[in-house]
Amino acid sequence: MASVPATSPRGGVPWAAAVRRATRRVAASPLARVVGRRTLQTVPVLLGVSFITFCLLTLLPGTAANALLPENATAQQVHALEHQLGLDKPFVVQYLDWLRDVIHGDFGASLGSQQPVSDILGQRLPVSIELIVLAFALSLAFAVPVALLGARRPGGIVDRLNVVAGMVGLSMPMFVLGLVLVLVFAVDLRVLPAQGFVPLGESLWRNLQHMVLPSATIAFPLFCHYTRVLRADIVDQMNSGEYVVTARSKGVGPWRILTRHAFRNAIFPTLTLVGLNLGTMIGATVIVEQIFGLPGIGQALVTGIDTQDIEVVIAIVLILSLTVVVANLLTDILIALLDPRIRHGRSHG
Amino acid sequence: MADQIAIVQAPPAASRGVGRSWSSRLRALELWIPGVVLVAIILACVVWPWLGTLPDPVNGHLDQPYRPLGTAGHVLGTDTLGNDNLSKLVYGGRLSLEVGFGAVAIGMVLGSLLGMIGAYKGGWVDSIVSRVLDMFLAFPALVLAMIIANYLGPSALNVTLAISLYSLPAFARLARTSTQRLREQPFIVAAKLAGTRDWRIIVRHVVPNIVPELLTFALLSVSTAIIIEASLSYLGLGVPPPAPTWGGMISMGQQNIYSFKALLLLPCGALFLTVLALNLLGDALRSRWSSV
Repeated sequence: MASVPATSPRGGVPWAAAVRRATRRVAASPLARVVGRRTLQTVPVLLGVSFITFCLLTLLPGTAANALLPENATAQQVHALEHQLGLDKPFVVQYLDWLRDVIHGDFGASLGSQQPVSDILGQRLPVSIELIVLAFALSLAFAVPVALLGARRPGGIVDRLNVVAGMVGLSMPMFVLGLVLVLVFAVDLRVLPAQGFVPLGESLWRNLQHMVLPSATIAFPLFCHYTRVLRADIVDQMNSGEYVVTARSKGVGPWRILTRHAFRNAIFPTLTLVGLNLGTMIGATVIVEQIFGLPGIGQALVTGIDTQDIEVVIAIVLILSLTVVVANLLTDILIALLDPRIRHGRSHG
Repeated sequence: MADQIAIVQAPPAASRGVGRSWSSRLRALELWIPGVVLVAIILACVVWPWLGTLPDPVNGHLDQPYRPLGTAGHVLGTDTLGNDNLSKLVYGGRLSLEVGFGAVAIGMVLGSLLGMIGAYKGGWVDSIVSRVLDMFLAFPALVLAMIIANYLGPSALNVTLAISLYSLPAFARLARTSTQRLREQPFIVAAKLAGTRDWRIIVRHVVPNIVPELLTFALLSVSTAIIIEASLSYLGLGVPPPAPTWGGMISMGQQNIYSFKALLLLPCGALFLTVLALNLLGDALRSRWSSV
């Protein structure tokens, strides 16, 4: 890092030198290098994912012409429409055209209702996002204390119960769990609604009432998964971390060692898992929204496939897969930010 | 001095011996209980339809719907169309197992082949294979299966193919990591130096070493595959009716959730039990093989 002269030889702008100096300092930091490398690696994956998605569009049965024209359309009419939609161009050109539109936020219009797909997404996405955020919050809020309790005494009663419950929870298919919850809380106890949705803006309380069961359905298997991994890593840290011995010999209390020392070192695999789980969770929203009749993006996907509404299906698949890729990227960056070993570039040592 | 050490060490060694025999007995149970349950499920679903003692799972008597559990001739009752529930469970289970094991078998063979070749060859082959697989991993499994099954058209074979596409990248990744670990091992290097051809090294030296790991993972994948199959049929995108499927039964059960709970609980229970047995068995095998 050579020091940059205060007055830049090139720049007329007075703050240019400061900006350049800052840029250079950031570029030299190991954190920036990790972030930069991961981001660059993501670009081809993003492009590949969009290309596969576009291939799916051409794979799906039913062409746009079939959907837009009456049954008895002449070959000429079909040809004219295909020309108008650009379907007679070479495949790669079609892909690039489509990619350009998508980057500009234009996903086309639903073949069924003629509504712009971006409008449909605008209505549906908030429901799914609320569902996922609530599920994450619920699962982590329960997983951290339970894992700490289990790791407090490995092999103890809490710990064993944890292991058994975790195995059962992980084997419970999401829609079995969802339907059992409906059976108990909506049909038998009649304390929560079985189906339906109330927008957040209308009534917070009734919105949450409708969201409790769906988000709990998604959260429970995640909770089991996180508890299991987190507990194992905390126990691992307690057994192998030299800093634990140091802390013990200093006379630090067991809870403090658990929460302040072991937990902080053990959280990284779980964080990675949270990022990786996003893909599974997005698949789960499809099922859960169907069970509980939530008007989210997953429900739109199922209806879209049923009615062969290609434009809607493609837009949703693209958004879901891009979310997964970006979530993986953000997880890596978050871990680089949190882990001082990576932050200060001593990861290879 | 040596005697002293022996005396000091004796008690913990003895108590550890007792603990080991107990824990080894427990571990044997961990393996045997799910194993026996799973074999029972498989036998029931595969052999029972073949014996011809079950009523037809479709074309039931429309005048005998909603029979409760324990009705003569219909031990588990009948559904809304008068079909026998037990028979539907068995035939649905057979389909689930066929699709689950079939999809994982296809995914395992093709996926591990890709992964092994990528890791063994290294270089640009490896980077292309891994990048393409990364891209497929970005698609949520259920969403991918939904689209492919819809494209291929609804049938048992097509659902199997669609689900196999989900398990393929995971197997490829696993095979790739394991092969990379093996590649630098002395016996592989020795085989290479002896002039053994690549495919022979892969078949004779790499495959036998990664098969246990792959099979354990396969058991866990079968349970996921069965869940995806059930999800597809629940959504009406899987094997089409009138073929009995657990997912289809669950969907019918949900429609009758207020009037006839058995219709929902039976297929849910069957699905849960199968998945639990597969997961417990896979888990027990994994811990057994990883500790050896």
